[in-house]
Amino acid sequence: MMKLGILPKLLKNLFSKPMTVRFPHESIPIPDRYRGEHAYDIDKCISCGLCAKICPNRAIEMVEASKKYKDTCPKTYPKIDIGKCCFCGLCEDICTKDAIRLTKNVFLSTFDHTNVIKYPMPKTEEQING
Amino acid sequence: MIEEMKSAPKGSEYDLYFGPAHPGSGNFGVKLKIDGEKVVSARADPGYLHRGFEKLMEYRTPIQNAVLSDRICILEPLNWNLIHAEAVDELMDIDVPERAKYLRVIMAELSRIQSHIIWYGVFSKGIGFDTGFKMAFGYRDYILDLFELITGGRVYPAGYICPGGVRRDFPKNAKEKILKVIDKINDMIKLEELENPSMDARAKGVGILKVEDAIRLGATGPVLRGSGMNTDVRKDEPYEIYDRLDFEVPIRKEGDAYARYWIGIEEMKESIKIVKQALENLPMGNVIVSNFKKPKLNVKIPEGEVYIRNEVARGEAAVYMVSDGGSNPYRCKIRGPDFLHMIPVLEYLLKGVQIADVPAIYWSLNICPADMDR
Repeated sequence: MMKLGILPKLLKNLFSKPMTVRFPHESIPIPDRYRGEHAYDIDKCISCGLCAKICPNRAIEMVEASKKYKDTCPKTYPKIDIGKCCFCGLCEDICTKDAIRLTKNVFLSTFDHTNVIKYPMPKTEEQING
Repeated sequence: MIEEMKSAPKGSEYDLYFGPAHPGSGNFGVKLKIDGEKVVSARADPGYLHRGFEKLMEYRTPIQNAVLSDRICILEPLNWNLIHAEAVDELMDIDVPERAKYLRVIMAELSRIQSHIIWYGVFSKGIGFDTGFKMAFGYRDYILDLFELITGGRVYPAGYICPGGVRRDFPKNAKEKILKVIDKINDMIKLEELENPSMDARAKGVGILKVEDAIRLGATGPVLRGSGMNTDVRKDEPYEIYDRLDFEVPIRKEGDAYARYWIGIEEMKESIKIVKQALENLPMGNVIVSNFKKPKLNVKIPEGEVYIRNEVARGEAAVYMVSDGGSNPYRCKIRGPDFLHMIPVLEYLLKGVQIADVPAIYWSLNICPADMDR
């Protein structure tokens, strides 16, 4: 026999709010520490390459700028492959100049695999064609 | 081929595959030989989730390994973080700050509660009590919200507990939020404790593991405690601050699935006690030793070897780490508690039971294929 102790709980549940939220219309707030998409600031970057060395999944590669930007950016800069990234935040922690930060953006799913790679500067035609 | 035909079941015997595509079995299978409704023999079929952590760790520095150690067990990443961090601390002779020790214990215990909630959820699902499953996963999300606030990730803390302390201090409002969540978990425990006819009918007297057999087959943690042995690494060989905390080790004599289910509930209560005590006595100060504040590339681990054992939610886990003086460990052996629960113990318990009892036994062992295959 089931005890009647569950009855008040049942009545309470009838009038309480659900645990879930209606996602596209409302969402639970994301805390500041959340490790989401990277934000990269090329002006702060000193091309030390520490982020590429600490990355456990080797998602970061130091690449040269394309011809169009070569004059203004002569060094190598991090190219981030979000497909390989495990969002551990070590690149953010090791960066001495705060050039890489992890933002709160969680909407990273995409249908186009070329979107997965984040170039340090806007993509040029040369890079798109390979 | 001829061998296979010779060993093929005869007459009314047939093979039944429980997993690896079974909903809820995890990436793990059991091949059952069935005669009518009775299981004649069971053979575990592991290996679907093997990722080779022991080899991967030989190519990474301690801080990178801390990130990797999350993934050993998906259901309780923080506990595995803790073991790895303790092993490196011991090898490098690091004096972990007092506040870091408290934060480590709080996070590890929250992780344990969360893991036990999943256990309750999948066990309920296994015996056909779907309300329990939905309730458990709903309440678990409150703890995941806490992890998101503190570590920045819902499931994977990304090496929050790292060699030298913890990667970040608690945010300002963390203490109040933890206490609020604990109140909610207390509600959940009250719901779990309600008299439940389906639990009584499906779990009582099922899968009885006697204490001698449990020791012989290598069971640890809640499975061994459910059989009546008083053992807990947190009491036997206290690490971090467990020797200063007041908590009990729940024990049940019956050794059946129902006893193990109750051990889970009682352990959650003890963990809540631990979290409350640690929050009360939380000292101020640093959370990480000064030379580990920024992740470093060329950290040299001094030569030596160390064996660290901890109590995780599923039993006794251990890390054996050898260093030859380089920046990566020379060898890192991981002992997952579920390796023994899911192969010898499960095969032993499934012999001679009814098919309907298989899920109840399977999920009562607090299984996690991830930490078994590693």
